[in-house]
Amino acid sequence: MTSVPHAVAYPRPWRLGAGTQRTLIRIGTGVLLLVLWEVLVRWLAPPFVARPVTVARALPHVLANHVPAGTPTFWGSVEATVIAVFEGLAIGVTGGALVGLTMGRLRTADRLLRFYVSAFFAMPIIALVPVMTLWFGYSNTVRLAIVSLGAFLPVCLNVYDGTRSVPSSFVEVAQSYHARWWNVWFGIALPSSLPYLLAGFRLAVGRVLVGAVVAEYIVNLKGLGSMIVFDSRTFHQPQMMVAVLVLAVLGVAINGVADLATRRFLPWYRRSE
Amino acid sequence: MSTEGVRIRIAGVGKEFGALRVFQNIDLEIGEREIVSIVGPSGCGKTTLLRCIDGLVKPTEGEIRIDGTAVTGPPRGVAVVFQHFGLFPWKTVYENVAYGLRLAKAPKEHIRESVPRHIELVGLKGFEKAYPYQLSGGMQQRTGLARALATDPHVLLMDEPFASIDAQTREILQFELLRIWESRPMSMVFVTHSIEEAVLMGDRVVVLRGRPSSVHEVIETGLPRPRTRDVLSSPRFNEVRDHVWSRLMHEAEQAERELQEVR
Amino acid sequence: MSAVQAHEPKPRMIVPQSLQGGLVSLAGLAAGAGIWELIGRHTQASSFAPFSETVKALWSITKSGELPRALESSLQLFGAGLGFALVIGFVVGLLLARIRLLRVGLEPYILMLYATPMFALIPFILSLFGFEFRAKVIVVTLFGVWPILINTLEGARSVSADLLEVARSYRSTEAKLWRHVIVPYTLPYTMTGVRQAIARSLVGMLASEYLLAATGLGNLILTYTNRFDTARVLAAVLVITVLATILMAIGRAIENYFARWKAGV
Repeated sequence: MTSVPHAVAYPRPWRLGAGTQRTLIRIGTGVLLLVLWEVLVRWLAPPFVARPVTVARALPHVLANHVPAGTPTFWGSVEATVIAVFEGLAIGVTGGALVGLTMGRLRTADRLLRFYVSAFFAMPIIALVPVMTLWFGYSNTVRLAIVSLGAFLPVCLNVYDGTRSVPSSFVEVAQSYHARWWNVWFGIALPSSLPYLLAGFRLAVGRVLVGAVVAEYIVNLKGLGSMIVFDSRTFHQPQMMVAVLVLAVLGVAINGVADLATRRFLPWYRRSE
Repeated sequence: MSTEGVRIRIAGVGKEFGALRVFQNIDLEIGEREIVSIVGPSGCGKTTLLRCIDGLVKPTEGEIRIDGTAVTGPPRGVAVVFQHFGLFPWKTVYENVAYGLRLAKAPKEHIRESVPRHIELVGLKGFEKAYPYQLSGGMQQRTGLARALATDPHVLLMDEPFASIDAQTREILQFELLRIWESRPMSMVFVTHSIEEAVLMGDRVVVLRGRPSSVHEVIETGLPRPRTRDVLSSPRFNEVRDHVWSRLMHEAEQAERELQEVR
Repeated sequence: MSAVQAHEPKPRMIVPQSLQGGLVSLAGLAAGAGIWELIGRHTQASSFAPFSETVKALWSITKSGELPRALESSLQLFGAGLGFALVIGFVVGLLLARIRLLRVGLEPYILMLYATPMFALIPFILSLFGFEFRAKVIVVTLFGVWPILINTLEGARSVSADLLEVARSYRSTEAKLWRHVIVPYTLPYTMTGVRQAIARSLVGMLASEYLLAATGLGNLILTYTNRFDTARVLAAVLVITVLATILMAIGRAIENYFARWKAGV
């Protein structure tokens, strides 16, 4: 037999350090993508469409709060969105964990609520934004409601799954040490479904960002969403792209911090699965 | 039967799961400083019987009393060591060992004193901050044992505790358990499917047989305590082991024959 | 371990219990409708319509043909977008798995795009592709493609070296390797992303109907909201909820079907 199969299974590493090589490739691809974007837009699209060069030029101006008079400042918008996102995450994750735990441990609660939770989870929450303007007016409450709901549902469903799959051995141990129901709920079921909760949190971050931006967009609240609308309507696309970039960074950052916190505070997580 | 008082009294106990009758008419008394091993073919319900003693499972008939009080739920002063270890992966060794005491709302000073003492007792000093995933199977069960002992039980229920541990470690743990028991004798029920283990640990060996199963024979091992490795090579040990073995073997053959008749 | 491991006894009688459970669920639904009705009756009609009014509105927009037309238009958009998402996600995922340079180069950017709320990119897409059907399909695809792509990539990368070795030793060509090993092995993994893709595509569908040319269910919601016709808004939302629930059930069925297959690999 020749050594051909091994060439398939284990691609021969280049002589460069694997990490450096990887970084170089990534930077290279990034540059290539930017050049491609620049060239294609210049060639095919109208002049107001954002290109890397114009975005880069707009970046310092936007970050320095140079915006048209009468519009909210950039950092003010970021602050408004970020606060809403964290409020929504706090409310939604807490509520979702509690309701999910209750549904997972109480059969009647499960039967009463399962239908609602899964229906709301399936539907696009943004369908509710317009009707919420009728309920709450054009106010921050709409955004808060959308964002909280967006975080609530994935966390609730995941914790529900988690608490239903608590190994019976854990419950048995708890019982043999005279655990009361709250010991089982909060001492066993909740920690043992933490991996599920974290998976739900990741979904929640995505949904919360979308929810916040859409609410700001449609309800015209101060925030990155309305900034994006305003800039795109006034043909300030490079400025708009900066806002989009900030949103992307925000999403990556929240998940990154969650990962770090997981590794730091829950060292047993993943390895014990 | 030892001469001391009776701690656990099992009277006419039987258990059904739906239409399946697992065991019936179990009568057994276990002394205050006695180790009783329970062996039987798999499916005979020995683990279920143990759970009945801890009140985790309710027997369908009969009654179990510990120190004269009928068992309705997990009683105070009874601790179980599980085959599945049942360690909480999100707790460190220290926190796992402290679990029973914390649930019992033991005073903080007592926990601070008792937990390290028991971790040391099972030979895990230095591993207080380790998580279960960082421990070998043997060390995990040491943690399970420390958790049970930390609650200062007067009844220790062992549910095939060493069944999922490799042979070498199992032997080490068996003798360590015996050593610990010597230093604080208590009433112990030891469920196992290993005949050697049953004879080595027990003052008496209870053989469950039949379908539904019941107590077929109770054998006094008559081996001296404290038990050391020498016991394993003593003639009496071999004699008892062979006796138990023949009892169970007979059963296995009979079951085989019945199966063939059915076919 | 003793065979009787029954400390968690199974339910004795399955039928009555699930019947009872069904009754509880029904009671939950009835209670929900009742609460909805009560809230509706005690608030202004312009902010919250009672359940009965909503049902009436649902009937009237069905009869008038408004709802069926909107539903058809939305489903076309959804189907086209999801279809492209499936195909593109699968193909690109496979390419990335097999071509290391592409994978290493693009992975961070893909993860970044995945984390970006696609919604924010809609104005950019509008400026490039206009706001008609084509642009909207692109939006839906952009929403739905990521879970498919990422799951495909993961699946294709986990094709075991052993399988590849077997194929190689039978002198399989690259094309045959794909057809007989890589594609059938990866497909079940791809499908584990399908439910998420459906959910995200639905969001994309509504988003594009809100922000690009207003059509379909999104248009209904916006129009009725502007008329303060809450009964019809709620009717439209109800339709979307039911539609989403059905689509998710289909997605779950597909996932389960492929999961069974995967378990056999």
